[in-house]
Amino acid sequence: MVFTLFALVLVLAAAAYLASRNRAARVDAAGDAALHSRPSYHGLHSALWVLMAGLGVLVISTIGATWFITSTLMNEIAQARPDAPLIEHQLILSDARAIADGRISSGSDMLREQVADRFAGLDRIRNVVVIVLTLGAAILGGVLSYLSISPEWRARNRSETVIRAGLLVMAVIAILTTIGIVLSLIFETVRFFNAIDWQLHKFIFGTTWSPLSGVFEGKMDAEKVGALPLFAGTLLITLIAMLVAVPVGLFAAIFLSDFASKTVRSYAKPMLEILAGIPTVVYGFFAAITVAPFLRDTGEAIGIRVASESALAAGIVMGIMIIPFISSLSDDVINSVPQSLRDGSLGLGATKAETIRQVVLPAALPGIVSAVLLAISRAIGETMIVVMAAGQGANLTANPLEAVTTVTVQIVALITGDTEASTAAGPAFTLGFTLFVLTLLMNMAAQRLVARYRERYD
Amino acid sequence: MYDTPNSERDVDQKEIKFSARDVQVFYGDTHAIKDVDVDLEDKTVTAFIGPSGCGKSTFLRCLNRMNDTIDVCRVEGDIRLDGEDIYDKRVDPVQLRAKVGMVFQKPNPFPKSIYDNVAYGPKIHGLARTKGELDEIVEKSLRRAALWDEAKDRLETPGTGLSGGQQQRLCIARAVATEPEVLLMDEPCSALDPIATSQVEELIDDLRSNFSVVIVTHSMQQAARVSQKTAFFHLGSMVEFGETGHIFTNPNDERTESYITGRIG
Ligand SMILES: Nc1ncnc2c1ncn2[C@@H]1O[C@H](COP(=O)(O)OP(=O)(O)OP(=O)(O)O)[C@@H](O)[C@H]1O
Ligand SMILES: [Mg+2]
Repeated sequence: MVFTLFALVLVLAAAAYLASRNRAARVDAAGDAALHSRPSYHGLHSALWVLMAGLGVLVISTIGATWFITSTLMNEIAQARPDAPLIEHQLILSDARAIADGRISSGSDMLREQVADRFAGLDRIRNVVVIVLTLGAAILGGVLSYLSISPEWRARNRSETVIRAGLLVMAVIAILTTIGIVLSLIFETVRFFNAIDWQLHKFIFGTTWSPLSGVFEGKMDAEKVGALPLFAGTLLITLIAMLVAVPVGLFAAIFLSDFASKTVRSYAKPMLEILAGIPTVVYGFFAAITVAPFLRDTGEAIGIRVASESALAAGIVMGIMIIPFISSLSDDVINSVPQSLRDGSLGLGATKAETIRQVVLPAALPGIVSAVLLAISRAIGETMIVVMAAGQGANLTANPLEAVTTVTVQIVALITGDTEASTAAGPAFTLGFTLFVLTLLMNMAAQRLVARYRERYD
Repeated sequence: MYDTPNSERDVDQKEIKFSARDVQVFYGDTHAIKDVDVDLEDKTVTAFIGPSGCGKSTFLRCLNRMNDTIDVCRVEGDIRLDGEDIYDKRVDPVQLRAKVGMVFQKPNPFPKSIYDNVAYGPKIHGLARTKGELDEIVEKSLRRAALWDEAKDRLETPGTGLSGGQQQRLCIARAVATEPEVLLMDEPCSALDPIATSQVEELIDDLRSNFSVVIVTHSMQQAARVSQKTAFFHLGSMVEFGETGHIFTNPNDERTESYITGRIG
């Protein structure tokens, strides 16, 4: 019913738009005075009022009426069964609802049947009330704004105010969500640090990661929460990925933007972007099933021991995954360097390569740096590939041929493991929060760098 | 008001630098330059005049193959520099452009310091062996472009931070620094005040003793002041070409006359 009403309000809004616009057009045509706002703004104003009044009343009356019905019925149930606990009252109510809706209830007795009847009756009244109120409000809003159309009516300014308020609400929602997520991260992190008695150095510098072994009564063993190997592993894999992705991606971008002919470009660019469309799961098993064994066999052939799950395999495949990211973003910034700068350099007798190295790349550098940073953030946050190809053991090593584990892998292991969520959440959230802080710091530092560079050269 | 026309014999003695025959330029299907024949002399300033959109910049860009950088642009015909076909396959456009410098219609300083902007060409072509020599070239070029006094205390600040007119002079300095044999200048004074303009005109006059200069301008007075030869373009064709004095006092074509007297354009 709510959806039908919603659709009805939309139809009314459309009708209000047309009616008001036509009326404004007629007022305009009558030509007594110049309209302050164009007719379409009058239409928009009416439509906005219908929407706001209709949807606002729809939401408020639905919530209000539902609350009223629930509390009335709860009262009646409480009077009928004064000695039963609250939870049983609630069960009776939900059973009664199920009976009224024709669904299956957990049990049936006199009281439940009675309440179900009451519920059905109240529900009908509620529907009528909501429909009447909603449509009434929508029509009232439409009629009022329809009647207020006159040459000097500032429909444009008014509708713009409404739209601005709407945008503000959306922005606030986005910001509040972010704040909420960060707060919950902080909250869980603090709880975790409490559990290890604020021995932060054990978390940051400790080298043994096995937070859930021997946990009792929510007390963590501070000796086993050393996250250093995880961050080292993340760093190692990210580094390998960047060593693969940055040169390949950047050179591909330079080739595409400045050397490739139009035809080559029109094929190569979409091909590269196909890489970006491959789900990371596919990259993950590609790394685990193809690349890692290949590396191990090659290593054996030349007498080097390579673990069957290695940082190298995960890093290389992650790099491949990130190539289109870097090439496509860099290609955009390189392309946006004005042709006049290239012309200026070519006109002085510089070659294409000199032009690119000395004029185009410096001008595009801020954009390229941001592209690389975004790519690093992606590499740090990437989970699927490392879960499959890098291993689980928390080794502290700088050797890319050994198995390492990353922060994200351990978060997955904690959350999907057997330990109950409330215990596992502490270390998992703390890792997540630390990762978040690190990425944030990195982005801020880089933005500073780019800003300083811009200052010099813009 | 106008320079006295050089005597015919004087002109005959000068060598031909550029000779263009039957030049056609197309942008896709647009025929932007039609049947242009012209001989540009060495050690001479030639002015291109004509209404906006008539193809002055397009023709100028043919002379150092800058049109190569525009995908849709196609140049036909025969253009020779010192008798050599510049559109020949064996000619390296990079070397050509080192010889034929260009100042663009829109100032386009690099996002580098003023010093590096001017030093860019000399560095690429290895014109200076020491830092001292490079400093000298930079100073000389900035002086010739009448920018030295304003720029000498801020050589390390970005060239993009200069005013429009200063940027225009920076681009002139940048082009002069590579010591080209021919300098193509596309409206080099469009954003300059009268004082800077007259300084640039002095520079052009100065350059004439060693190089040839081709200048596009919308100012009749400027064309008359600095050039010995003038070409009038109209709708992609070169309507008239000759002694500047002759064109301005006694044009053969009535379109030239109406343009000069301000009736078309
Ligand atoms: N890159 C381009 N692509 C397509 N058409 C172009 C391009 N550049 C110029 N044209 C066309 O070629 C014609 C000549 O342009 P050109 O820039 O040579 O004129 P101009 O004489 O320099 O004009 P102005 O005095 O305004 O600078 C114009 O009709 C213009 O629309
Ligand atoms: Mg032009």
